Amino acid sequence: MTGSPGTPASVADDFVTALQEGDLDGAFGAVSPAAEVVIHPTGQAGGPAIAREFFREALTAFPDLMLTVTRRTACGNGRVLIELSLEGTQAADFLGAINQEKHLDIEQAWLFTTADGVITAITGYWDQNKLYRRLAVKRLDRIAIA
Amino acid sequence: MTQTLEKAPAEITAEFFAAYRKHDVPAMADLCADNADFHYLPVEIWGKQRVVRGDGKVHGIGRVIWNGLITAFPDLSNEVTSLSTATNGTVVAEVTLSGTQATPWGVIASKGQQFTLPHLFVLHMNADGLIDSVTAYWDNASFYRQLGHAEVD
Repeated sequence: MTGSPGTPASVADDFVTALQEGDLDGAFGAVSPAAEVVIHPTGQAGGPAIAREFFREALTAFPDLMLTVTRRTACGNGRVLIELSLEGTQAADFLGAINQEKHLDIEQAWLFTTADGVITAITGYWDQNKLYRRLAVKRLDRIAIA
Repeated sequence: MTQTLEKAPAEITAEFFAAYRKHDVPAMADLCADNADFHYLPVEIWGKQRVVRGDGKVHGIGRVIWNGLITAFPDLSNEVTSLSTATNGTVVAEVTLSGTQATPWGVIASKGQQFTLPHLFVLHMNADGLIDSVTAYWDNASFYRQLGHAEVD
């Protein structure tokens, strides 16, 4: 699944590989400081710090976090879609869900835009309702944070 | 593998979402292969005996879900906000769906609420220029909140 060095596919692959190794600095080393980030399920939009904080919190809350790429689609316009499953056992609060030591498995889609070997945009899609269900949250109005 | 199709995958995708805007489910289905796979990943309904998932075939659960959505949201519409194509016949489409609830949808009673919700669709075209796989991602928590439904299940 590894592409040639510097291609959009390899840039996206390297990002995910670094995350799989828990290496946030490595992952975000190829992300432009001006990158536009949208994480739809958390309602966040802004710069790369948003995505970095999401993955930092995920790595903290799920010490056994496992990211398994299920499909990678490299498009002709520099965009790369990475579909993956995020799995782990909760050990700390996450996105407002208190820790009940539940197992999480959730399908995610991360759409990367690249230019000249740099990630210039990241957009994340998944079902936050399914995530809450896995973490034994019963009501959307009873999570700790929005 | 690079595919050569009579119609470009982007064109087929545009036709698909245009048919969806017209609520023409037969036309949507006609753009798909007979055995096209269907994966609406957020669909997961937990009953007492079993879990119903949005996994199956376009001409099975796919048509059921599309028809159900159009019935529950009679003004259902969509806007394709970005479209990217790969050489293997895959199209990645960011699409915003919107509508106003008129009748129950799954466990959600109608309160007449409107929703606007970003979706990500991944469509794959086969060598005959037919969609042979439909995968979609969206956030049901946002969907439920917009419809006034606070329960996860």
